[in-house]
Amino acid sequence: MPALTAKGLLNDLAATQRRRFTLAVISGMVAGALTWVQMGLFAWLVSALLVNTQPLARLTPLFAVWLLLLPLRGLLTYAQETLSQKASLVIRKQLRQRLLDHLAALGPVRLASYHSASLSYQLVEQVEAIDGYFAHFRVQLWLALLLPLGVLTITLTQDWLAALFLLLSAPMIPLFMALVGMGAEQLNRDQFAEVARLSGHFIDRVRSLTTLQLFGQTRQAEQSVRTASEGYRVRSMRTLRLAFLSSAVLEFFSSVAIAVVAIYIGFGLLGYIDYGPADELTLFSGLLVLLLAPEFFQPLRSLAQRYHDRAAALGAADRLTHLLNEPLFTSHAHTTVAPPHASDTLIELEGASVTHPGRGIVLGPVTQQLARGEAVVVTGASGSGKSTLLQLLAGFVAPSDGERRPADALRFAWMDQRPLLIQGTLADNLRLAAPRASIDELHQALESAHLGELIKRLPAGIDTPIGERGFGLSGGQAQRLALARVFLSQAPLVLLDEPTASLDEDTEQAVIAALQTLRHAGRTLVIATHHPALMALTDRHWQIRDGHVLEVPHG
Amino acid sequence: MAKLNSLAVTFRPWLAVLAKRRKRLGLGAMLMALTLFSALGLLAVSGWFITATGLTGLLLAAGVAASLEVYVPGGAIRFFAVSRTVSRYVERLYNHDTVLRLLADLRTQLFGVLAGLDSRALAQRRASDWLNRLTADIDTLDSLYLRLLAPPAVALLAILLLSGGVALFVPLAGGSLAALLLLGWLWLTLGQARLGLAASERHVSQLEALRSRTMEQLQGMAELKAYGSLAIHRERLTAIEQHLQHAQQRLGHWVALGNALEGWLVGAATLMTLWLAALAWQAGSISGAVMVMLPMAVLAMNEALGALPAAFTWFGATKSAAERLNQLEAQRQPVPETTTSDPGSAHEISLNAVSVHYPTALQPALDNLSLTLKPGERWAIVGESGSGKSTLAMLISRQLTPTQGNIILGGIPLEYWPDAALRRRVAVLTQQTELLDASLATNLRLANPDAGEDDLWQALERVALASWVQTLPQGLDTWVGEGGRRLSGGQARRVALARLYLCQPDLVILDEPFAGVDEPTAQLLSDSLDAWLKERSVIYLVHDVSNDAPTPPGITHMLRLIEGRPNAAATIRHGANTNKR
Repeated sequence: MPALTAKGLLNDLAATQRRRFTLAVISGMVAGALTWVQMGLFAWLVSALLVNTQPLARLTPLFAVWLLLLPLRGLLTYAQETLSQKASLVIRKQLRQRLLDHLAALGPVRLASYHSASLSYQLVEQVEAIDGYFAHFRVQLWLALLLPLGVLTITLTQDWLAALFLLLSAPMIPLFMALVGMGAEQLNRDQFAEVARLSGHFIDRVRSLTTLQLFGQTRQAEQSVRTASEGYRVRSMRTLRLAFLSSAVLEFFSSVAIAVVAIYIGFGLLGYIDYGPADELTLFSGLLVLLLAPEFFQPLRSLAQRYHDRAAALGAADRLTHLLNEPLFTSHAHTTVAPPHASDTLIELEGASVTHPGRGIVLGPVTQQLARGEAVVVTGASGSGKSTLLQLLAGFVAPSDGERRPADALRFAWMDQRPLLIQGTLADNLRLAAPRASIDELHQALESAHLGELIKRLPAGIDTPIGERGFGLSGGQAQRLALARVFLSQAPLVLLDEPTASLDEDTEQAVIAALQTLRHAGRTLVIATHHPALMALTDRHWQIRDGHVLEVPHG
Repeated sequence: MAKLNSLAVTFRPWLAVLAKRRKRLGLGAMLMALTLFSALGLLAVSGWFITATGLTGLLLAAGVAASLEVYVPGGAIRFFAVSRTVSRYVERLYNHDTVLRLLADLRTQLFGVLAGLDSRALAQRRASDWLNRLTADIDTLDSLYLRLLAPPAVALLAILLLSGGVALFVPLAGGSLAALLLLGWLWLTLGQARLGLAASERHVSQLEALRSRTMEQLQGMAELKAYGSLAIHRERLTAIEQHLQHAQQRLGHWVALGNALEGWLVGAATLMTLWLAALAWQAGSISGAVMVMLPMAVLAMNEALGALPAAFTWFGATKSAAERLNQLEAQRQPVPETTTSDPGSAHEISLNAVSVHYPTALQPALDNLSLTLKPGERWAIVGESGSGKSTLAMLISRQLTPTQGNIILGGIPLEYWPDAALRRRVAVLTQQTELLDASLATNLRLANPDAGEDDLWQALERVALASWVQTLPQGLDTWVGEGGRRLSGGQARRVALARLYLCQPDLVILDEPFAGVDEPTAQLLSDSLDAWLKERSVIYLVHDVSNDAPTPPGITHMLRLIEGRPNAAATIRHGANTNKR
């Protein structure tokens, strides 16, 4: 599949809303035409009054027609705006779904190489950043092509020389705008990168505020925030200098064309110009041409004002396509493998190794089997690859070589040192593991994870709200909450990365006892740990040394 | 009235920030007005010119000797054409530069506010919430000047001047125009703001909710995937998105309505002016050319009013951003009065009947705790998670002030210590390893910005990481990733320890120094830590001291905390064991 481009993405998305866009363009066209009619009425009324010296009273019906046209035109512009806005809403929703699907397919290990703040910025702000393009620019682009053509045609019927003025100035506009726009686009992309970097820089400094305070470094960090903001300003100004230039070019041409048309018509009406159609000009045609001249440029000006929408959307789309083009490593060799050879084997690895870009092979080749009900402890120096082995077993990383063969429809429970705590109640957090669990089951799981006492003390019990990063819970409590989720899930394979890392002795004992319970329930445990007490729990011991997994005799 | 008052209170601090750049803002608004009057002048004079020439041409054709001075209006037309272009470009550039300057001011100021919050307030804020506060909220506030202050002011000025100008020729037209346009102006600003207020306020909070849910999904992907609850979490995300889009749709409708009304308003005003001017012309009080000039000038009001509906419909977004930033400012701790001189040694600390009671907690985090630590002593504070150890560490490092009791450090009440001296003399290894998303060297130098490269290597040597860092292609410049994610938990812990070794404190607080480190490494670290701690006073915070867990070196005293209360029975003096180092 060819790589998706930013333009390709935007066009794909637009194609799904073609009907709404077409209707919006039609509404805009009719609204534009009504404006011409109003201008025609204006010129006609003036001419009737001044040239034909008709009494005002006889012209009243025309004024009434004009008055009736006004709300009709309003209705049409309203339709145009709301139609394209709806299209934009639908498109943004689609795009966000697509991105989330893709990120889910990439999996947690691949995501770890991204800054999650930048990434969520992309999913929220950059998807929002394409709004202007669909809600305004796309329809405006058509109007900018069609409406000036209409004005030109009307002008041509009145005075071909004036029409020629308009025609001559028109092609210069897209030319200049394209020249200016090209530079602006690149700059806009850079600016998006800058905004993402800036947000990463911020969240990082803010998260580390305690450390910065303790080292007395908040002033320096504040300075670095200013420097980063200043950099953002300087870069933004570079973008804007060009972006505004494109609209200034347009402004210049439209102003000059109006001036030229006004002076040409004026002199023509005075009879100073004795060539071309000038001597056929009347006050009506002259005034109409003058009134329509701004309408020739107005759609183009609106487009120019919306030009940054296009640049912003392309910039955002470009970054988003980087994400969407990130290949999914679902090479068939690894996914459509046969189940393990022996029927009681839950999962097996055969010659499986894991490679990290830039670091070479970090683990493997590993050949191991895990039977149902077994418990394995994985030891090794910090950084030796214990977590990688768990990720490999979980399928979060695909083996670069060899095979991972899980039993059919293998489900597993996972707990690492950074447990997920979602904003919501304790119950919401528990139900992540088992959406249909009953209240009793939740309490039982909490009891098993040794959180029962704490929950009983809380006035709202399991309905107590907790926040992101577990506000209200200590590190050990968060760890135990994650453990409670393990108990709740009925997954046969349980992968635990340092399950007792931040627990005190008593809780630790309770957790070990609880893990024992899990074992007796026939679950298969893989525990990466340094902790000797956990080893007693297991019947197998894998030691990782130099990337190799060695089976150590247990006992 | 009360509502307007509360609005004034909400925006006062931000208007004050704007006021500091008064000159730039004034000049920017003038440039806006200049652009508008150029456009108005261009259309009005052109209309006048064509009508005048047309009428003169008719007279000439009829054989009447008539003449028209053409150079002044011709020159005016050319002048307005150029001034409109130039002033517009300069105005936009100048005003955006101003706004970005304001944003840099605001961001820095806000970071300063955050840095002044105490640990408790810091912990309450959620990480992605802050990102929003720091960037989006302030970005939203940019609309204060460029969208909400200058354009309506310039439009109002234009309405008054235009009506005044028209009134010079046709008083009735001028008066009616003023009435109609002012009413319209009120609707396009206040009316639209009122219409969109609720939805645009909701929009901000829903965008924030979407952001933090997205972050949850990305950070917790491993567990969500494992439990197959990705879909459920996605549903929550989708529900928030739905609310968000609902608000956006409403706002879109209000904006479209405002725009349609604006078009109607200018059209109706033009029509009305033409009618009244025609009446005046019939009465012979104005010329035909002026009769055309007046409505054409009104037609140009589109430029002044066109941007108002969109800006004001979204007023609530700006308002709630300002409100939330105000809340943050309100939590800022007053900077304590401190002496400027360095009080000297901090080897000794005593806590006298200290209690800490968090407002929302059921029981005090620390209850009537007293202890005295003498130079060179090493205390182990032992307790479960939640026993009050971390609160104790925050008290001693002055990240928290006690609810009751006092703390004397080096003979001087803790609150009188100047911040710089306190940070130099008291070092803390926090339980959670916090690393910046920056290079190893940057992270190490947090502890001592002046540390040379040799110092860094030496510190890494002490935590047995030097040889590993040497194998990295980028050495000390290796990026550690968000929160040190590119390092293993144990490596990150050791980096945090190495960072500590770059300071020269009198008093050291170590919260679980060997958390996440395997036992052989912990033994190694313990030896070098022991050497570094010589001549310093130490407080260890540990879960337990037992034989099978790596124990920090050289403990002289032990204090067990249970639910914030010292357990006297378990307070052991290792008097005999005190190492004579």
